[in-house]
Amino acid sequence: MKIKVLGTGLTKFGELWNKDLLDLALEASIDAINDSRLTINKIDAVFVGNMIHSKLTNQDQLGALVASSLGIKGASFRIEGACASGGLAVHLAIQSLLSGTYKNVLVVGAEKMTDANVSDISSALMGAGSEAERKAGLTFPALYALMAKAHMAKYGTTRKHLALVSVKNHYHASMNEKAQFPFEVTMEKVLESPIISSPFTLFDASPISDGAGALVLSSESTGEGVFITGSAVATDTVDLSSRKSLLEIAATKEASQQALKQAGVEISDIKVAEVHDCFTIAEILAMEDLGFCKKGMGGEFVRKGYTRLGGKIPVNTSGGLKACGHPVAATGVKQIIEVTHQLQKRAGKRQVNGANIGLTHNVGGSGATVVVHILQT
Amino acid sequence: MSTPAQIWRDHKKLNSYLNKVGELIVWTKIFVAPTGFEHQTPYLVGIVDFGDQKMPLQIVDCSEEDLKVNQKVKIVIRKIGKAKAEDIIEYGLKAKPI
Amino acid sequence: MIGIVSYGAYIPKYRIKPSQIAKTWDKEVSEIEKSLGVFEKAVASYDEDAITLSIEAAERAILAGEIDPKKIGGITIGSESHPYAVKPSSTTVAEILGMGNDYLAVDLEFACKAGTAGIQLLSGLVSQGKTKLVLAIGSDVAQSKPADVLEYTAGSASAAFVLGKQNTIANLVDFTSYSSDTPDFWRRDTEKFPSHAGRFTGSPAYFTHVLGASEKLLKQTKYKPEDFDWAVFHMPNAKFPKQVAKKLGFTPKQLVPGFIVEKIGNPYSASSMVGLAATLDVAKNGQLIFMCSYGSGAGSDAFVFEVTPEIKAYQKRNLETVQKQIKNKAYIDYSLIAKNILTKYKI
Repeated sequence: MKIKVLGTGLTKFGELWNKDLLDLALEASIDAINDSRLTINKIDAVFVGNMIHSKLTNQDQLGALVASSLGIKGASFRIEGACASGGLAVHLAIQSLLSGTYKNVLVVGAEKMTDANVSDISSALMGAGSEAERKAGLTFPALYALMAKAHMAKYGTTRKHLALVSVKNHYHASMNEKAQFPFEVTMEKVLESPIISSPFTLFDASPISDGAGALVLSSESTGEGVFITGSAVATDTVDLSSRKSLLEIAATKEASQQALKQAGVEISDIKVAEVHDCFTIAEILAMEDLGFCKKGMGGEFVRKGYTRLGGKIPVNTSGGLKACGHPVAATGVKQIIEVTHQLQKRAGKRQVNGANIGLTHNVGGSGATVVVHILQT
Repeated sequence: MSTPAQIWRDHKKLNSYLNKVGELIVWTKIFVAPTGFEHQTPYLVGIVDFGDQKMPLQIVDCSEEDLKVNQKVKIVIRKIGKAKAEDIIEYGLKAKPI
Repeated sequence: MIGIVSYGAYIPKYRIKPSQIAKTWDKEVSEIEKSLGVFEKAVASYDEDAITLSIEAAERAILAGEIDPKKIGGITIGSESHPYAVKPSSTTVAEILGMGNDYLAVDLEFACKAGTAGIQLLSGLVSQGKTKLVLAIGSDVAQSKPADVLEYTAGSASAAFVLGKQNTIANLVDFTSYSSDTPDFWRRDTEKFPSHAGRFTGSPAYFTHVLGASEKLLKQTKYKPEDFDWAVFHMPNAKFPKQVAKKLGFTPKQLVPGFIVEKIGNPYSASSMVGLAATLDVAKNGQLIFMCSYGSGAGSDAFVFEVTPEIKAYQKRNLETVQKQIKNKAYIDYSLIAKNILTKYKI
């Protein structure tokens, strides 16, 4: 496939008290449409990714809400796949272009989380888990903490390995003016922060954020530009206990293998990647499951500095979910935007030299849905 | 939390789990809880392998230091979360080390 | 003859010493320990209540007795801490135990004798031939006003007895009850914690009714205290049961196996029933057991049990004895109690 990224738009991520969901979605959308140089009437459909807005505010029909607010009368949809909502919206938008039904579409991933209290948000996010997990009082930090413990027991991964992911992503975010936390942190800060779910501290976890990202995608496959050449989704059980193994996210392997095949590239060809670090262990698992390194070696891979700007394969130059922020459904779209900017040489101080092939990795829940995209110039 | 009809259906399933014994594979101590569980913090949650299935369960009547990998645990019936003053109380499965 | 077919008891794991409670309220602990005779009491966890405690005890009775729960035709739960003012604890417990739908269920309240009242009432269903098996439970997560003297003794536990005509381990030789309107201890329906009338709870209340029922039953059965191997009395503290036993003519030795108050406190409706379970844990074939409960408000239920040869095989199957559970403990400080109060009363 060859889907052109015509335009991108991204709001700041953070605690944005003065903006509501629609403000954020429209801000990103208008920036993306302007960036694309298309007129509004050329947009055939709008794909809106969002996870918890309905639960928190009782507002549904987000597809129509965003589209009509922009003056777009074509098709509109809301897509949900927990934290993979953004990536899924991109994937479905691509399918609509590949099928020939539409020619130019707008994809928006938006989330407004900070109006609710922490317990209610924690509860709402557990919608991405199973009923049994909710009854057991599990939270997302706890689910990933269980995976971290299993990984630490089997492969000797340590809390320091986990902390290094956070330290690196904060370093990257310090060069990203859109990031929620554009500052560095030390290893000590990460290790000594309050424990939220053993062994994770506050700094092992991505924050609660508001934000939106938008893309204009086109089936026009000619000319210069950044193209999405692979887009794949894979699925696994919602309940973590029902997975075959706690040591990997199998759907990551499945989706990435498919996406790479579609694009006709190998994992070793990837020059820059945005992966789903909802918790530090998730980035370590992603290094292994995507195939950047061998199973069990994810911690060491990060420790050796390979994934830091300047290293072999910079990962999460945006700051990742941890430091750039994680307005749930916006993340999958933001990842595409970051890689697009890298390939367009628009990443400023975060620029990865010679980046011409990139990968994005977006996960729903504890690994029930995974979306992987490959982008190339 | 759950509605009376949902609780009614779920209570019917509890009898088949009574006295089940399994092994604790992995656990974590939760300090920040979702709505309805704040009164319990900190509390332990883990994954228990019963042979025919694995389940996520709160681990009760012990402290984190007492637990070992593959610790034998038994199903017990306890209150789930914290019902509002006017709501039906939900009972459900938890695990206790034996 | 109708008798006990199987039984089970449940004592929560956590214990608190009076010194921890006294420390919280800045009181002198040695006086309290001396006057009440309680060394530590059992504390239920924030996710336990009279229903969960009932399930534990009853399931043990069902397992040790190899009973098919669907054959149980009557269930009573006596408690002062039923989770609902309206909605029976007994049906929730019956559902989870797998009792099906063919049973009579009723929740009972009569302070600390609600559980034993169930034994007397349900035995009627069996003797009428309405059902072959019935289940009487006493279960309490005892409540007391923080800083009140009751806090040192109010404990949590449950006991369940399955009664029937076949394969009994102890026969119900006879029983009686003595009641009057005596306001020694009460809780109004809008109040969170019970109130009591101080020294009025002694002679006109506990002693009058325990003596009343016990003397009546001894006369009725023509037994003398020395005919019994064991005796169990309701234990609101360590002093009252010893005093009433002496007054009736029982010896301290007879009280020993059932004397649980020093180690677990007073679990209200489960007090004498757990004492009976502890006695059956060590009883031998042919032995006679005397039991008298007391419920404030007030009344006493007295029973004579005769142990059968089946007891030996039962003791082998019964893994969770009362002594085992008394020993399986972990000490806590006042924080769990504070948490329980906040949780239960939604403060």
